[in-house]
Amino acid sequence: MIETLAGGQPADHGGLARRVRRHPFVDGPTRKLVRSWIEHEPAHQIPWTAVARPLSACRVALVSSAGIARHDQCPFDQELERRDPWWSDQSWRPIPLGTTEDDVGIYHLHIDPRFGEQDLDCVLPLRRLQELHADGLVGGVAATHYSFMGYILQPRQLLTSTAPAIAAQMAAEAVDVALLVPI
Amino acid sequence: MIPEFTASVGAPRVAGIEFPFGRPLGLPGDRAGQRAVLRAALEVVWLAQAPGTVIQLPFAWPQSPRDARADPPVPPPIVQLVKRKPWLAVKLLARDIPEPRQPGAS
Repeated sequence: MIETLAGGQPADHGGLARRVRRHPFVDGPTRKLVRSWIEHEPAHQIPWTAVARPLSACRVALVSSAGIARHDQCPFDQELERRDPWWSDQSWRPIPLGTTEDDVGIYHLHIDPRFGEQDLDCVLPLRRLQELHADGLVGGVAATHYSFMGYILQPRQLLTSTAPAIAAQMAAEAVDVALLVPI
Repeated sequence: MIPEFTASVGAPRVAGIEFPFGRPLGLPGDRAGQRAVLRAALEVVWLAQAPGTVIQLPFAWPQSPRDARADPPVPPPIVQLVKRKPWLAVKLLARDIPEPRQPGAS
């Protein structure tokens, strides 16, 4: 059953924060932290573009916050975060279609990376997306997909540099739909 | 993973799924399960009719929270820092982030 939690009106941050109490896989301290952050979050204007075509006519790109970098790329800088835990590497990596778990490392200090290292589709489902395309459910699969490392307390560089660069690359590849897969 | 948090920062459409961290699409090797989650998440693009819509996907993790638990190999640096200096928890809760103390951080 589809349950719609919100939409169409200004977000009720108090209500959203209360729902976090119910999460079975989020421990108590993390729940408290996330509830506090929700309550501190200012209201945002929500960007919105209506969908003009069915999914079967859309080109899709994936974005993962798992900190995935190919072995032929510079790893995400974990030493930066170890030296100053308030800060982190806010850069991004292009992940070409066809990349598998054999080609990458996962550089995220807040998760167990073994699952994505064993099966990349757990965190960046490139092969699953290609299967949906082969079955005609998705119109196209972008040549490039993306990853950044999602532990970011102050997203200044993410907002001013990383996200615009990813968006520009997506526009260059005529991506219709971008799916952000959180970790 | 925590759709309420994603909604609070103004994501246009949110597909919510209560899976453990590190495995947002499902178990390694569960091709059918991963495919179902991906397909349902993409369909939210069309199901969401208004900005900020959160739609909870109808999938349940097959393990208990205790069995599904998988912590990072080492506690994250911020967790270690707050353990050493518990008074910093107040800053963390309030997202009162100190400016970086080293070149290269931004």
